[in-house]
Amino acid sequence: MTTSTLTTTQRIEKEPPAWTRMLDLSDRALAVLLLAPAAILLSLIIVYPVARLAYTSFFSLSLTSGLPAEFVGLENYKLMIDDPIFWETTWNTVLITLITVPGALVVGMALALLANLPFRTQWPVRLSLLIPWALPLSFAGLIFAWFFHSEYGVVNDVLNRFGIPGVIWFNSPNLAFAAICLTIIWKTSSFMALIILAGLQTIPRSLYEAADVDGAGRLRQFFEITLPLLKPAIVVALIFRTITALQTFDIPYMMTGGGPGTSTSTLAMYIHQNTVSFLDLGYGSALAVVMFLLSMCVTVVYLRIIRTKG
Amino acid sequence: MASVSLRKLEKSYGSLKIVKGIDLEIQDGEFVVFVGPSGCGKSTTLRMVAGLESISGGEIRIGERVVNKLAPRERDIAMVFQDYALYPHKTVRENMGFSLKVRGVSMKDAEGRINEAADMLGIGHLLDRRPGQLSGGQRQRVAMGRAIVRRPQVFLFDEPLSNLDAKLRGQVRTEIKRLHQQIGTTIIYVTHDQVEAMTLADRIVILRGGDIEQVGTPDEVYNQPQSVFVGGFVGSPAMNFARARVEGDALSFANGDRLPLAKLARGRQGAMDGRDLIVGIRPEHFVTVADPAMTLTAKVQVVEPLGSDTLVHFLIGSDMLTARLPPDMRPEPGAVLHLGLDPSKVHLFDAATERAIH
Repeated sequence: MTTSTLTTTQRIEKEPPAWTRMLDLSDRALAVLLLAPAAILLSLIIVYPVARLAYTSFFSLSLTSGLPAEFVGLENYKLMIDDPIFWETTWNTVLITLITVPGALVVGMALALLANLPFRTQWPVRLSLLIPWALPLSFAGLIFAWFFHSEYGVVNDVLNRFGIPGVIWFNSPNLAFAAICLTIIWKTSSFMALIILAGLQTIPRSLYEAADVDGAGRLRQFFEITLPLLKPAIVVALIFRTITALQTFDIPYMMTGGGPGTSTSTLAMYIHQNTVSFLDLGYGSALAVVMFLLSMCVTVVYLRIIRTKG
Repeated sequence: MASVSLRKLEKSYGSLKIVKGIDLEIQDGEFVVFVGPSGCGKSTTLRMVAGLESISGGEIRIGERVVNKLAPRERDIAMVFQDYALYPHKTVRENMGFSLKVRGVSMKDAEGRINEAADMLGIGHLLDRRPGQLSGGQRQRVAMGRAIVRRPQVFLFDEPLSNLDAKLRGQVRTEIKRLHQQIGTTIIYVTHDQVEAMTLADRIVILRGGDIEQVGTPDEVYNQPQSVFVGGFVGSPAMNFARARVEGDALSFANGDRLPLAKLARGRQGAMDGRDLIVGIRPEHFVTVADPAMTLTAKVQVVEPLGSDTLVHFLIGSDMLTARLPPDMRPEPGAVLHLGLDPSKVHLFDAATERAIH
């Protein structure tokens, strides 16, 4: 006992190495030092690009004109207000969000409930959930472009078998829009399902047993137990899905290229067109700033909902 | 209130039999405790009564109804779960009133029943809180309240105290007993804690490996254990067991001690000659002054003073025994004691079957 006490005392009194004395910092300074690498990294990859984007949006900067960048203040934003394609693509984006986010939530919820059933072999169900999620967006777009092909597509083939004449999906703005929305719902509902499935698995089985004893049927259990307890998972899934829906690009780009006309073009596609095709970085940046603000608004709304619920 | 009857009740998972044909009659208003070690089938049996597990064979009756195929909600039972299973997003009031709402009980009637149960359990001030804002003991009471408002025919308790600390467990145990005295409903209660079983039960059902080992009042299972398992399971510290052989008119122990068989066997010695026995003696049944013919020689190994009494551990052959002695007795390790026995409190078991010899 005595020996061990002495050893401890000696250890305490031992001088720290010289290099640590050189770094004899206050708690606050140490905290700043430890946080600095992450803060610098975040600044470089997030804060700087966003700030640079906002900065560029105040300039007339078209690489095709060969003219130097010229500060034009809010001119790009004024242009936007009078630009019918901006309004059309923004409306398309909002509409895609309003249709596909609830659509994916409902389908995702159904898939999650299905995957949560006590199957003897779970992995095929889980794998079938993962496949659409793991598939690249552009690839999903290509697959569904083929599915909806007027001559060789599976969809028209099925319709024909039921005696319904096939349609030229991508010739009609409404049908093309519907095809895109269905594809997005198929592609994204698995992500929703995975998050909801994770939420479902945190609900203790005993709650359902208690509800069984209390006399609640399956439907009542879903509305009184499952749904309220899934709220946090659903809100998280909605935040992610809504933000990515506002940035929809790949699927309509691969399926219709925005056509017919610009009827299925989204804001992200319009930004891409202005910056990459037309090399108009000033206007493209202003459009991107608007999309960024739109995403931020949605995030703030959802976060407020979470806080209120909390 | 209703009686509960289990007839040849079985539960199997594939080829694995968990419950092996239980027969039990539980009287109307009786408090029956299922007790046994982990895996003995006690919780499975309770869950079969609740309807949360299907039954593989046999019959369950609640009152006059066979309930084998009925859903839990149709059995008119209420259950208190080990983890309480309170709905975390509902207030205490909503938790307690959920079953009434589901069954279409009027708001006024439901409110009356909730308040009555809350008063009974002293949780009236907690009605607007959520389970997350309650302590373990309070949650326990809410879980009981949820069961009480239903006014079921049978209450089922599945290890309801196992998540509470020792002090709280004692308090809530008393409350459960008081509650039963107050409402008088039939209760089936599952626990692995023999103290809970002894203090609460009108009758104890001791289960082992899916079979009933013994059914009896707390006094019966304590004083007349039917097997080595029951003797060892009931009582704290556990009953001592020492191997011995019947040699002529004496019971001979491994350390050379011999006890007169005539006093121990109480007329059964004729059937015992030459048999190997297990002698069961409760620690509290050793006495320091006794008939010199009825003593065991104990070479003290370890002494544990508890304040109220002293536990003395000693060896007889290779069997370690414990004696609960008066607090002023503090023998040194290595000392030799002559511990007396009251022959009426010595239990004899067959060494091969481990069943009591009557």
